[in-house]
Amino acid sequence: MIATAPFARYRVSHETRYRYFPAVSSARQLAHLTPRATPWQSVQAHRIEIAPAPVEYEESTDFFGNRIVRFALEGLIEEQVIFADSTVEVSAYAPAQDAPSPDWRSVCSAYAEGNSALRFDLAQFCASSAMAPMLPEAADYAMTSLQGGGPWLDRLLALSQRIQADFAFDPAATTVATPVQDVFAQKRGVCQDFAHLMISCLRSVGLPARYVSGYILTHPPAGQVRLIGADASHAWVSAYCPEFGWVDFDPTNGKLANTEYITLGWGRDFSDVTPLRGVVLGSGSHELQVRVTVSPLV
Amino acid sequence: MPQRLLHSYPPADQRFDELLQAPLRPREHWSRLFRELQGIHPQRMRERIQATERQIRENGVTYNVYADAQGQDRPWGLDVLPFLIPPQEWHQIEVGIIQRAGLLNRILADIYGAQNLLKSALVPPSLIFAHSGFLRPAHGMQVPGDVHLHVYAADLARSPDGAWWVMADRSQVPSGAGYALENRLIVSRVFPELFRDLSVEHLASFFATLRDSLATLAPSGDGPKLTVLLTPGPYNETYFEHTFLARYLGFPLVEGGDLKVRDGKVWLKTIEGLKRVHAILRRQDDDFCDPLELRADSALGIAGLTECARRGSVLVANALGSGVLESGSLLGYLPQISEHLLGEPLKLPSVATWWCGEPGACTAALERMDHLVFKPANPAHPFEAIFGGDLDVAGQATFRQKIIAHPERYVAQELVRVSQAPVLDRDDTRHDSPDIALGARAVGLRVYAVASPSGYVVMPGGLTRVAASPDARVVSMQRGGGSKDTWVMSAGAVNSSFSLLRTTVSAGDLKRSGVGLSSRVAENLFWFGRYAERCDNAARLLRVALARMVPDNDDEDATGPIMELARRVGMLGEADLRDPQLCETSLLAAATRDAHVGGLAANLRQLARVAFNLRERMSQDNWRTINRLLQDPVFGREASISDILNWLDRAITGLMTLSGFALDGMTRDAGWRFLSIGRRLERLTFTTLSLQVALQEGQQGAEQAANQEANPAGKSMRLGWLLRLTDSIVTYRSRYMSRPEWLPVLDLLVLDDANPRSVSFTAEGVRGYLQKLEATFGPCGGDLLVPHLENLASLDPAVDLHPQSARLLNLLDALRSTGFAVSERLSTRFFNLADAHNRAMLGS
Repeated sequence: MIATAPFARYRVSHETRYRYFPAVSSARQLAHLTPRATPWQSVQAHRIEIAPAPVEYEESTDFFGNRIVRFALEGLIEEQVIFADSTVEVSAYAPAQDAPSPDWRSVCSAYAEGNSALRFDLAQFCASSAMAPMLPEAADYAMTSLQGGGPWLDRLLALSQRIQADFAFDPAATTVATPVQDVFAQKRGVCQDFAHLMISCLRSVGLPARYVSGYILTHPPAGQVRLIGADASHAWVSAYCPEFGWVDFDPTNGKLANTEYITLGWGRDFSDVTPLRGVVLGSGSHELQVRVTVSPLV
Repeated sequence: MPQRLLHSYPPADQRFDELLQAPLRPREHWSRLFRELQGIHPQRMRERIQATERQIRENGVTYNVYADAQGQDRPWGLDVLPFLIPPQEWHQIEVGIIQRAGLLNRILADIYGAQNLLKSALVPPSLIFAHSGFLRPAHGMQVPGDVHLHVYAADLARSPDGAWWVMADRSQVPSGAGYALENRLIVSRVFPELFRDLSVEHLASFFATLRDSLATLAPSGDGPKLTVLLTPGPYNETYFEHTFLARYLGFPLVEGGDLKVRDGKVWLKTIEGLKRVHAILRRQDDDFCDPLELRADSALGIAGLTECARRGSVLVANALGSGVLESGSLLGYLPQISEHLLGEPLKLPSVATWWCGEPGACTAALERMDHLVFKPANPAHPFEAIFGGDLDVAGQATFRQKIIAHPERYVAQELVRVSQAPVLDRDDTRHDSPDIALGARAVGLRVYAVASPSGYVVMPGGLTRVAASPDARVVSMQRGGGSKDTWVMSAGAVNSSFSLLRTTVSAGDLKRSGVGLSSRVAENLFWFGRYAERCDNAARLLRVALARMVPDNDDEDATGPIMELARRVGMLGEADLRDPQLCETSLLAAATRDAHVGGLAANLRQLARVAFNLRERMSQDNWRTINRLLQDPVFGREASISDILNWLDRAITGLMTLSGFALDGMTRDAGWRFLSIGRRLERLTFTTLSLQVALQEGQQGAEQAANQEANPAGKSMRLGWLLRLTDSIVTYRSRYMSRPEWLPVLDLLVLDDANPRSVSFTAEGVRGYLQKLEATFGPCGGDLLVPHLENLASLDPAVDLHPQSARLLNLLDALRSTGFAVSERLSTRFFNLADAHNRAMLGS
């Protein structure tokens, strides 16, 4: 395994292109496309370009503290481009894989019996949410990795690795609306599905977990150059333990997230941090094209 | 003789009896009503009840029950006996409700603000955070006047010891206040003297307070303040109430698609363009209100509304997020919260209720299952209330497991034996029963409060809800229960002069027209006109067609063109034309079967659908007429030809009545013009089509006559049907002694400017109305008709009025297609605003 660098800098460009058939008469959108500043991540540059130019534009923060942009367009719109360009620096933030941690069962009870401030902080992420509900099959699946207790970090990492092994990555298998139950049944999906699935597992056994939206650095095959636009948005899971605070697990790749992960924001599930959601006024259909490029900077 | 009234009145059986304090002894405040009932002749009482039922049916007072076989049209259940509450008792309820509404408003302010109640665990944070009614985008929002809860309702029940308890709080879109008002209008007419003698408190001031309070809190700017009532649409179970309240309060009734956000403000789409909306009284659940920030799958919402509310550019009542209180899980915490926030105990206690999400409460609830009713804690996980005592041992064990798996989804509530109140038993009011007799039903009382600048104001009255059957334990309109008017008796004099009609209008405030007509309403009015006329045409066509099936019909009519016309409008198929038996069956079906496309019944359905969407703009008289048509006895049974001919006569009379209302009763505003254009366009298309069909037949007839050289001219024409179809037979007979002949018939039906059914009159009318619209809105398509009207004027009766005239046939054809073009033009110009719909998109 490659040793993790202490920090890394990236430029991320994320272009979303909508084509409307026929043209729509107005569009109103809400973007979660601005990387979040965290103790381990600094946002050194960021801009969003929207074409055609919006008639309304406002930056703000959502309930979870993520940065958002709301904007609206008027007039006949045939094509629309939203381009987000960010430069971020990420420090190493994952605990060592073999760091000692308490029994996962004590984390459950620490929360349940903890003081009201802790309960208040974590209550959001313990309850079912629409896309990451508590489910009997999720509890059963989780218990295979958790049975009999064991160190929290070790067991959760094992769970994420099992998900990577048991589920096939298949972009054709699911959509943004596929429920976790279906992902369990068909054993295929994409990063968003695996993140929801692992969150369901954790919540179902009483562990707080949240959904993280962002990007991951990909490695082009040896000898080839990085293709522009070939990357994609990524999603993973953050779980809480009193020893470490929030720790990020990536069930798609079966590992802890570290300096190769760029965080946009977090919420209970995808619907809280959808990169771009919108409503258009029109009567036809639309076509969507997303191009993401993550380039390492020196 | 109380025995006579009470012979079948059941003993209270451990319930509180609202009527009797001891066997055969009415309570003091019921004695006056009791005397009235004793004094009234049973027959007279029956008549009053029947009149009430008729009024409810004909006014179209409905409550939609989901999954009910009768679907949209279930009549509202109302027992004419009012529910009586004496003044001192009401006072207790009133102060309790005022305190509670204020407390709940403070709780909402905290949940959507500092969240101190959650941080200090006075309310378990998971109770709120797991609740699907907690809308995160509403957190941190400043609401005008710190009012989140503008309209509040509480469901009360009385326990055996006579005390009132709160069973549930309604904070999302409390329904029923409008039904309470409708009940009042009906019941106060059944017992007018009693109503006066008992000094019953009036309801109007409550609604005036609501209106004033919204106007006070709403932001201003961009013209006079406009409040709209937002409905999810005709399929909602209380849609009748929405239309009724909108009309009563004078607020335009809008659906999400009628509103639009622009420049950070909310606007109503009208035919004159966008009109600023300052306040929204919503009857649509908050999570459906904005597909951008709330539920993305809501097709009903207004994209961007949340942001407008956040900016304070629009008042949303109740505030977004208020639905979070609508869960029994909070009830158990209210006493402590009241002490904490108000420093006083609850004046009106809640029925003992536990949220199973608290481990201790859950254990206790599981131990006492037999005595509890379980209800959903979270609207995201709904289920029908479960009575622990109803489950057998195995059932209890299974249910116990379900609760243990997800305790946070359950609320356990102590069973209350709610009080019983007298009702007029339907079975005992049948004609064969000599007396009227009282029955009893379990009742619950829904009371309402509205926020005002000086605190909450409680409606002096409310909606008494009556269980569906004598042994029912759940009092619910959804379960098919009924209702009663609630009479709060006044200690002093009642201010009866108060009414919603204000006396504060000065000359400067006079209005000659309403708020801009919304595009959706304009479109509905246009189609109302079209369908009304289409029904009329269908009925007349069926009448002439079916007359051909009856023997002894004189030979003024040709069968061929009538059936051909019926085929062209879709009533008959090709096969029907070849087989007389099939033809008759199809025509009969066209008269009475909804499923028969193009027929009268199908078009009446469409008319009713459009009328339903226009409810708040239609007078009761209009509505009654439509309901009479829809409820005609012909629909209920097998009908003979003569039954159907009689029905067609009734239908035509009813449709003429509707047309009369439009002509005589509607203000000549833009809305009326859309209706009239719809009607005239439909008539233009139908008359030109009828003439074309007749002329084609005439051509063939003339050719045959030329070949055979035998037919006497008058007989071969047989044009009586055309005159009857166009309601012009009387005029014709008054002018001409002869049987109908082409020249005079065509003159009357094409050129005669004085005949309201003639092509010339109809087309000129359309152009006239369009010109009126164009004066305000610019070109609307009136120019399309001009060349044809000129052409029409230049027709020479001596040369052009016969079946062989190509010029006449071409002109009729051109006029008919222009009719379609004008309709198209109006759609693009005025209606498409309402047509395009929101589409939510998610991008990764």
